[in-house]
Amino acid sequence: MASVSASHLILFIASLVIAAGVAGTFTQGISRLSQGIDDQSLEVSEEVRTDIEVISDAGSPVYNNSSKTVTLLVKNTGTSTIPADSRFIEILLDGEYRANVTVTVVDGDRWRPNNVVRLEITGADLSAGDHRAKLVVNGDQEVFRFRT
Amino acid sequence: MGVFPLGFSVSGSAAIVFVGIFLAFSTAYTASANGFERVSDATSAVDEESLERQNTALSIANTTYDAGNDTLSVNVTNEGTTALSVNATDLLVDNTYRDDYTVRRVAGDNSTDLWLPGERLHLEVSASSQPTRVKIVSGPGVAVTEVL
Repeated sequence: MASVSASHLILFIASLVIAAGVAGTFTQGISRLSQGIDDQSLEVSEEVRTDIEVISDAGSPVYNNSSKTVTLLVKNTGTSTIPADSRFIEILLDGEYRANVTVTVVDGDRWRPNNVVRLEITGADLSAGDHRAKLVVNGDQEVFRFRT
Repeated sequence: MGVFPLGFSVSGSAAIVFVGIFLAFSTAYTASANGFERVSDATSAVDEESLERQNTALSIANTTYDAGNDTLSVNVTNEGTTALSVNATDLLVDNTYRDDYTVRRVAGDNSTDLWLPGERLHLEVSASSQPTRVKIVSGPGVAVTEVL
């Protein structure tokens, strides 16, 4: 009788250990998934809140022929603050990626909603004719067409 | 010494697994509910913003350049149904961002930030020569252009 009880006790402990292992793995997996959902939702909400608008007057010269610079004024019309840094603003000029961009906030210290930044794209050697600039910030795209 | 029943192993491990699943799902539920709320908050903020944009309309009443004292004055009327912010309104003169207003008042009041429907915003900036294009951009991003 005693040996049956002992083996039952061993089986009992073994089953508890296995159950704890299963529950632990499961909990860990789900908590990783929750962390992922949390991060993703933060990202998606930022993307939804981001909205920009190029307010430059396309009728006035946007391109400076002597300094080979395109100057664009971009307003934050969304509901979140965007970092005013060229790493967060993707610029395509006539389909060509531009990295040499200076970003300056013209009416404040940060690019908050309603604030305007000045983007100076240097080294843009544009010929006379129609051109387009495309801005991508946080998934929000904006196309600005102008003539030189 | 009694017999250690095998039934304990089954119910004990089932309880552990059950508690594990319960914890995991409570984490997952919290994360997904928070994430969902974050995204729906962002969406409703954007919806509100776009409603405001739909209800915004501007018109330039007149733009005059006084060569005698080098002053450009612009009168803009809020033709929409939303209250706009004076600070969020931008002025572009020949594509140059201007915020060095010499006079900025709404309906005779130069301390208010509110630009209510039907009211006229009066802006004055110094300009050394006659500008050709003036653009006014309101907070929601609705803009008007005037060619002098």
